[in-house]
Amino acid sequence: MNADQILLEIREANLSYLMLAQSLIRTDRDQALYRLGISEESASLIGLLTPAQMMKIASGNTLLCRFRMDDDMVWGLLTNHGKSAANDSTSRLHASILMAGRHQEAA
Amino acid sequence: MRVKSILTEAKQIERSIALIKLGARLQVLESETDLSYERLLRLYKEVAGKSPSKGQLPFSTDWFMTWQPNIHASLFLNIHEYLNKVAALDEIDCVIKAYQLYLEQIEAQSLEPLLSVTRAWRLVKFVDNGMLTMTRCASCGGHFVTHPHEIAKHFHCGLCHPPARAGKGKASGGIRMH
Repeated sequence: MNADQILLEIREANLSYLMLAQSLIRTDRDQALYRLGISEESASLIGLLTPAQMMKIASGNTLLCRFRMDDDMVWGLLTNHGKSAANDSTSRLHASILMAGRHQEAA
Repeated sequence: MRVKSILTEAKQIERSIALIKLGARLQVLESETDLSYERLLRLYKEVAGKSPSKGQLPFSTDWFMTWQPNIHASLFLNIHEYLNKVAALDEIDCVIKAYQLYLEQIEAQSLEPLLSVTRAWRLVKFVDNGMLTMTRCASCGGHFVTHPHEIAKHFHCGLCHPPARAGKGKASGGIRMH
């Protein structure tokens, strides 16, 4: 991937993220906070963005959204590394419980 | 207390419809809205197309302590707490929205939603009354529904340390351990 391509793809990903986030926020604001893992303030900002603003924000050389699981426990459950005994969907369920418990990151 | 404002009433009807669609028992609606029993009954029949089931609500906290229900209840309660912390919602709306998210998650995993919305509502009441609480699992760090005064240092959740015969059942839609 050359530099131009990288920029293009990042912009693409940012744009899809912003559009998805905005439609989630407009559909059900409170549930969107849970789904996106963002704060009330960020949600208000994203909810009000115009298409032109979105295009502007989306271009750049960094991604706008980031990883929500930065610890080994959740990561291991999601990828099924470590413990292979548990069933796939059970691990996923376990990961969901752990991730739903992290509201401090949204605040 | 009878409803005075039409707007409030409209909101309560809307809530009731959401609850009925999720399968709530009539007692939940009676307790969460100011609408009369007769109107709720009519609304229930209109929305659900059948009469509400009769009889007492499940009242015991024990159900939440059994292996599979505990996992379901913990997922719901974590989502509920999340919404409670980040969004300014009325209590019952928080239950409705958290329950919808719980259902979505469970169905995406092709599991059977063991926790009914009535039980979910009860669970939140039990937690408010201090009859149940959440304790952090010493192995995975997740929060799980427990009786109050669980010794946190020695607590391990049902997913980290499942009981011997748990998750071995053949029934479809259940949580499996392998």
